[in-house]
Amino acid sequence: MATVSIRNVWKYYGETPAVKDLNITCPDGSFVSILGPSGCGKSSTMRMIAGLEHISSGDIMFDDVRVNDLAPKDRDVAMVFENYALYPHKSVYENIANPLRLRGASESTVKERVEGAAKLLEISHLLGRRPHELSGGQKQRVAIGRAIVREPKLFLFDEPIAHLDAKLRAHMRGEIKHLQRTLGTTMIYVTHDQLEALSMADYIAVMHDGELQQWGTPSEIFNNPVNAWVAGFVGEPAMNFLTCGIKGEGDAVSLMHKNFEIPLLPGQVRQLNGAAQTGVARMGVRPDALSISMTKPSEAAIRGEIFVNELLGGDMLVEVELDDCRIRVKTTPEFAGKPGEACYLTVNRDKWHVFDAGDGHAYF
Amino acid sequence: MTDVSSLSGSSRDVASQLFRARAHSVEVEARPRAEITHKPRKFNPPMPKYYYYYLMAPAIAILAFISLYPFFWLIIMSLQDVDIGGGEWIGLKNYTKLFTDARFIDGWILLAQYSIMCLGLQVGLGVTLAVVVNSSKYEKYLVTALLMPMMMAPAVAGLLWLFLYNGTFGWYHWVLQSAGILDSASILASADTAMYAIVLVDVWQWTPLITIIALAGLKRVPRDQLEANMVDGASPMRNFFAIILPNLYPVLLIAVLLRFMDNFRFIDSILVLTGGGPGSATKILPVYLFEVAFKFFKLGRGAAIALTLLIVTILLGKLLVRVFEKPQGGKG
Repeated sequence: MATVSIRNVWKYYGETPAVKDLNITCPDGSFVSILGPSGCGKSSTMRMIAGLEHISSGDIMFDDVRVNDLAPKDRDVAMVFENYALYPHKSVYENIANPLRLRGASESTVKERVEGAAKLLEISHLLGRRPHELSGGQKQRVAIGRAIVREPKLFLFDEPIAHLDAKLRAHMRGEIKHLQRTLGTTMIYVTHDQLEALSMADYIAVMHDGELQQWGTPSEIFNNPVNAWVAGFVGEPAMNFLTCGIKGEGDAVSLMHKNFEIPLLPGQVRQLNGAAQTGVARMGVRPDALSISMTKPSEAAIRGEIFVNELLGGDMLVEVELDDCRIRVKTTPEFAGKPGEACYLTVNRDKWHVFDAGDGHAYF
Repeated sequence: MTDVSSLSGSSRDVASQLFRARAHSVEVEARPRAEITHKPRKFNPPMPKYYYYYLMAPAIAILAFISLYPFFWLIIMSLQDVDIGGGEWIGLKNYTKLFTDARFIDGWILLAQYSIMCLGLQVGLGVTLAVVVNSSKYEKYLVTALLMPMMMAPAVAGLLWLFLYNGTFGWYHWVLQSAGILDSASILASADTAMYAIVLVDVWQWTPLITIIALAGLKRVPRDQLEANMVDGASPMRNFFAIILPNLYPVLLIAVLLRFMDNFRFIDSILVLTGGGPGSATKILPVYLFEVAFKFFKLGRGAAIALTLLIVTILLGKLLVRVFEKPQGGKG
C-alpha cells in the first residue's frame, strides 16, 4: 500500500505535450479514478506510473520514494490492461501465477495464492483453460486475478471493463469496488466512462487536453463542477447550457433569456461577485434539476414547446424547444405532454450553475 | 398506462417524419417471438462444386506435363541401370546397393553435420540480428544492407568467398593466419577447415532471410503482453523467452523449413568452392548425387539417391512442423 504523488509531471511525445504539469496525490488505500475523454492524457499518466512510459518532466513518488528511474518490475505495481493482455500460450492458472513465478515464489505459495484469487473472482472452474476458450468477462476476471494474486503497493486499472457488454459492465463495477474495499490497496482506475468513475471512486481526477480540470469526490465533481467543461462531461444525460444575459443591481440579479427571466438566490448573487457587469453568462442546469408542467406555474418559469419525448423505462426524457436552443428535462413516464404542445419548465435554483461566458469557470 | 400508449403513438408520428428507420425498427421488435420447435421443410442443396474441376483442369494438365511426368520417369529410372547408352530393368538393385555404398552413407553424415551447423547458426544469429534491427532507429537502412547477400546468385557468392579464402591473396586467410588461428596453407584445401568454410558461406548468405522473417514476426508480438509481463516483474531477458519467442515460433517454423530444404538442394556455392573436396570432406549427399548422376552419368543410381533424399526431406519436414507447432498449445 502506498500514497502516490504525481508532482508537476509532463509527458511529451516528440513536440506534442500529452500531459501538462499534472499534480495529484492519491491517499493510501483510496480508489482514485482518472476520468477524461480519449486523448486527454489519462492513459499516458497511468503508463508513467507503471513505468512503461518515460516521465518527460516532474516526479512520481510512491510514499517517499521517487520511482521515475525504477523499471516496471521494481515498482511493485499490478496492472490490468484494457484488452486484458493474457498470455495465450499459458493456462489460466499459469497466467495468474505469472507474477508470483517471476518473483520466485515457492510452488505451495503459488498454488495457495492462485486458488485464493480464483475463488475470490469465482473462476476456480476455469483454471485449466486457455485464454482463447474464455468469454470477455472471464478474461477480464483472469486479468484481475493476475493483478491481485500478490500484494502490490498499487493497482493500476486501465479501462478494464470498457469492452464488456452493458449488463456485465454494471455487474463488474460493483465487483471491482468491493474488491478494492476488501483488499484495501490503493487503486488508480482510468476510464472515459463518467458513470464508472462516479459510481466506484473515492476521488476523481478529471482530465482534459492533458490538464487536470478538477480533483474531488464524486459528489463534488457532480454537484460543484469547477468549469463548464467538467459540468458538461460528467452526468448522463448531459447538462443543459443556455447563454443568458445578466441584469440587475444590488441583491436583485436575474438571468435573462428570450424565454425567461429568473432571479438568482441571494447567496448566488454574492458568489457572482460583481461579474454581472460583463452582461453575459452561461447557465447550466441538469435535466433532473428541471421540472416540466403543461400549465403555467406560479413562480418564474421557462416557456417552451415539446419537441420529442424519449421513454427510458423508468424515466422519461423530454426535449423542449426554446426560441434559440433545445434543452432536455427528466420527468416521470406518466408525463402526458405531446410533441408540439406548449409547456413550462421550472428550475431548481439550488442546483443550477452559472459559468463565465469566456473561460467557462464556474461562479457557483 | 393508457396515457403512455397513446403518447408513444403520437411521438412516433413526429419521429417517423424525422427518423423513419427508427420508427420502423420499433414496430418490428414489438412483434412477439414464438419458440421455434420445427425444422425447415426443405434444405437447399449444397453449392455445386463440379465447375471447380473445369477451372482447375488446365492448371492440372500443365502441372502433370512439366512436373508429374518427370517425377514418375525418375521413379522408373531409379529401377533401371541407365547411363547415356540406354537402360536395362534391374528392379530394386540400385537401392540395395546404396546400403553398402560408404560414400552414400558418408554423404548423409556430412549433410547432417552441414545442415545442423547451418541451421543452428542461422537461426541463432538471425533472431539476434532481428531483435537488434527491430530496436534500432536505422531499421530501414539495416534491412537494405542485410538483403544484399541474399540478392547474390549462390554460385557468385561461392566465387566471392573463393577469393576471400584464397591462400595467396585472400583477406580472411590473411586475418586468420595473422591471428595464429589457422596454420594450414589453405582454408578450402584442408579437410579440417573446409566444412566450416562452406558453412560460413551459407550462413553469410542466408542468415538475412531468417532475420527478415523473424523481424516480421517481432512486429506482431503483442505489445500489451510484453508490458503486462514487465509489470508482473519480468526482466527483458525473461520477457524475450516468455513472450517474444513463443510468438515467433510460427514464423520461425517457416524460416527453418525453408532453410532446411534449401540445404538439401542448394549446392551451387559448394561446387564452386570445393567441389566436395578435399577428398570427400565436404561431399554432402546432394554433391555426391550430382557427381553420380552428372559426372559419371549413372542416371539410374542418381535417381535412386534423389528419391531417397526426397523421402527423407519430406519426413524431416513433417517432423519439424510437429515439433514447432507444439508450443502453440490449444491454438493449433
